[in-house]
Amino acid sequence: MKENVVIIGGGIAGIEAAKQLLLLGYSPIIVEKQDHLGGHVAEWHKLFPDMTPAKEIVDQMTSEIGGANVFLETTVSSLNRLSNGYSVVLSNGIAIVCRAILIATGFHLFDAEKKEEYGYGVYNQVITNRDLEHWFNSGKDVRIDGREMKKIGFVHCVGSRDLKAGNSQCSKVCCVTAIKQAIEMKEKFPDAEIYCFYMDLRLFGKKYEDFYINAQKDYGIHFIRGRVSEVGEKIDGSLQVKAEDTLSGKPLKVTLDLLVLMAGMVCNPRTTEIARMIHADIDTDGFLRSRNNIYNIMESDRPGIFLAGTCTGTKTVPETVAEARAAVLSIHNYLSR
Amino acid sequence: MRPDFHPFVIPFCAGMAFVLGYCFFGMIHILFQLPRRDRRHFLLSLVNPKTAWKNIRDIFLNCLIHVKLWKRNPLLGYMHSSIAFGWFMLILLGHVEVLLFAPGHLSKFYYPIFFNFFVAKSEETIGGAVLFFLMDFFLLVVLSGITLAIIKRVRSLWFGMRRTTRPSVLDMIGLYSLWAIFPLRLLAEGFTAHISGGSFLIIPLNWIVRGFLGNEVNMVPTWWAYSIALGVFMAVLPFTRYMHIPSEMLLIPFRNAGLCIRHPRKGFAKIQVLSCPGCGVCIDACPMSAKKANIKDTTVYLNRQIRRRNEKRIEEISDKCMMCGKCTALCQVGVDGPLIRQAQRSMRKYAVEKDYSAAVSPTPVEKAEVAYFAGCMTQLTPGISRAVESLLKKAGVEYAFIDREGGLCCGRPLMMSGRIKEARELMQKTKESILASGCKTLLLSCPICYRVFREEYELEGIEVIHHSVYFYNLVKEGRLKPTRSDIHFVYHDPCELGRGSGIYEEPRKLLRTSCYLVEAAKNREESVCCSGSLGSLTLGFADRKELTEAALRNLTSDIPDAIATACPLCRSTFRRYSDIPVSDIAEVIDSRT
Repeated sequence: MKENVVIIGGGIAGIEAAKQLLLLGYSPIIVEKQDHLGGHVAEWHKLFPDMTPAKEIVDQMTSEIGGANVFLETTVSSLNRLSNGYSVVLSNGIAIVCRAILIATGFHLFDAEKKEEYGYGVYNQVITNRDLEHWFNSGKDVRIDGREMKKIGFVHCVGSRDLKAGNSQCSKVCCVTAIKQAIEMKEKFPDAEIYCFYMDLRLFGKKYEDFYINAQKDYGIHFIRGRVSEVGEKIDGSLQVKAEDTLSGKPLKVTLDLLVLMAGMVCNPRTTEIARMIHADIDTDGFLRSRNNIYNIMESDRPGIFLAGTCTGTKTVPETVAEARAAVLSIHNYLSR
Repeated sequence: MRPDFHPFVIPFCAGMAFVLGYCFFGMIHILFQLPRRDRRHFLLSLVNPKTAWKNIRDIFLNCLIHVKLWKRNPLLGYMHSSIAFGWFMLILLGHVEVLLFAPGHLSKFYYPIFFNFFVAKSEETIGGAVLFFLMDFFLLVVLSGITLAIIKRVRSLWFGMRRTTRPSVLDMIGLYSLWAIFPLRLLAEGFTAHISGGSFLIIPLNWIVRGFLGNEVNMVPTWWAYSIALGVFMAVLPFTRYMHIPSEMLLIPFRNAGLCIRHPRKGFAKIQVLSCPGCGVCIDACPMSAKKANIKDTTVYLNRQIRRRNEKRIEEISDKCMMCGKCTALCQVGVDGPLIRQAQRSMRKYAVEKDYSAAVSPTPVEKAEVAYFAGCMTQLTPGISRAVESLLKKAGVEYAFIDREGGLCCGRPLMMSGRIKEARELMQKTKESILASGCKTLLLSCPICYRVFREEYELEGIEVIHHSVYFYNLVKEGRLKPTRSDIHFVYHDPCELGRGSGIYEEPRKLLRTSCYLVEAAKNREESVCCSGSLGSLTLGFADRKELTEAALRNLTSDIPDAIATACPLCRSTFRRYSDIPVSDIAEVIDSRT
């Protein structure tokens, strides 16, 4: 009889963990609230820095977990501590007893409507990074289709590093995502002028900086250091963006046909609910608290509760995958103790 | 008849001479601190019969009867007026007694106070009996007030006060001597009553004390004690919160003369600080008190620190305040905490002087009789300006959106931060652009702009109107016809619109045309600031979050379905933490029209 390990969340962290658990001879059970696996990555079109199709990655990862139990459109109804483990009751009525649980509930995309000054939900021509990826995938969006795109703007750090919005953390991926999307838009609209409004560019990952240089050199994308202060709509429906170019020290007004908001990662409210069920701690940044933020990031303070991916903070795809593997090793060590 | 003088009157006389001298020279000093123009203005106001009558009426109603306190809490009102009015009557009747029975001694100012010691046997005439009765009656009134005051020390909640200040040592000395004065007077008169007469209170007391204690030995010591208690109270009065008693009598004429605070420590501000009775009503009032650590940043403590000249704390307290004005609205003497703070902030020297004289205000492109000025805050909340425009179109109003392409700031945030000169420069620019629009009506959706346009801009010939009032008028005229929904809204009074501009009714009436209205636990002039205020220079987001959540708890006490307000800043602040939808009044009406 193989030992059960419950994985809450079927994003890339959950899938990768399931795969590794299978290889180690466990029986992973994935609980996923949506009707498909892959989480946020499955909604993306291409991934930086090599423009790898997201679908390819997710499909490959999913194909390797054939032996795992996957419950789609299912949530955790209750989590109870037993003398040596946990009993997990799912929304479909199934109860599972296990010694280890992996929380891989991921993040929540910041609700851009909360930054009303950027006009998402008010003006027609304001969309988010997710809307844009959706358009790349589906090719359908009334805000873009059939319109002339002469000037397009990207606003970095929407809901990230923004105390006013209640989030002080950097979402790590938006800088490079904006560059990626800017390049993709330039490819689709070669005549368009593209502006990125940034606070500072945090291009820490492998080949990110090259990506940025390409964007300027090969694609002619304009980078303007300065936060957008407000967005207005002109009578003809185009957008007027006010910002400050902090390098020249001058206020700036640009008229745009489309504005893309780089909504950041915030803590998933479902994660907080689950944490409450097992009295797991929340860190001061609102994400789950690891036992140690340096070398035990995938372990929680509760015995048998492990963490992987963006439920403990913002992460990139490779970081998430690596952490899922590390978490599985921790689980294996814990269970074979 | 006993001698004209006894040494026990010395403590009283010394205390009285000191306090009168102190107040007189203090008053002269403060008058000289006023700028020359203000001083002239003030002195002229004293001879203006209308203001003079108002001064007398206000002093009588506020200093003696304490009408405002009665309205706030009858028990608190009774406590204050019994002591103040009762004491006043005792002094007045004392003089009447001297005038009637010992007219030769009127020049001795201790005579009316210690009348029963010096003059004997006068209740046999009808006039004497009535006077004695009144004296005893008012002594009883004062004693009842003192009793309440003692109870209040222990159970302040009975008097409608959750939190009060912690008195300083000198305040305690003043307090105890004040409490001691009247029981000692009762005792002293009780010991003397068989000689000098009395009425229903002190005659029976005399029977008792004579029976138990014997008189002759105790008489003089109790009169000494009474005089010493008076003397101590008078001597410490200038250095305690009881300074508010004489100060308020100058504050009222100052206020009626229409003076402004020009310096945080001098003149009008000084008299305001001295008039603070330290009661602590502002502690419960202050929205920052929702967090206990902020209690010491309320106006009562600002006044205390100004009196102590604690510069560091004065700066901290002045910078932290959100300038919502609730302390002033509830203050019984009308100390204007926010304006004192604004004056304090204006003293600061900045390393970099801002210069707005070169700022260019865009000339409005659109022109119409009705000009809509959204202002910075509405620019940041485009949902509101959209709703305003939509309503104007629905009502068929020809309007110009004069800062559609952006405009300059109204200047109020700079004013609040004490940078008056810079604010004036900016206001001049904004004024020019409004005049250039050639409008007759200036429509505003932001109460911050509204207040400053009304108070500071002197836009002659232009009607400045807030959108809640404007749309209510349109509904009244039948040009907007909102339909009712069964949603229960609670209306939040924005500080600058309610307390700042006195508009409470129109927004409510307007909302009632399209939804049900419930009230917040504290509303209208007691409305709790949303804590997004531009007034505070030092409050961080984390601090503000707790305060906003407290304000939301106050708002939702009646479990409304949604929150409506009439200020873009309140709306975005509440939206950040509210569990229920928050809308501007224009959005509510627009969605139902």
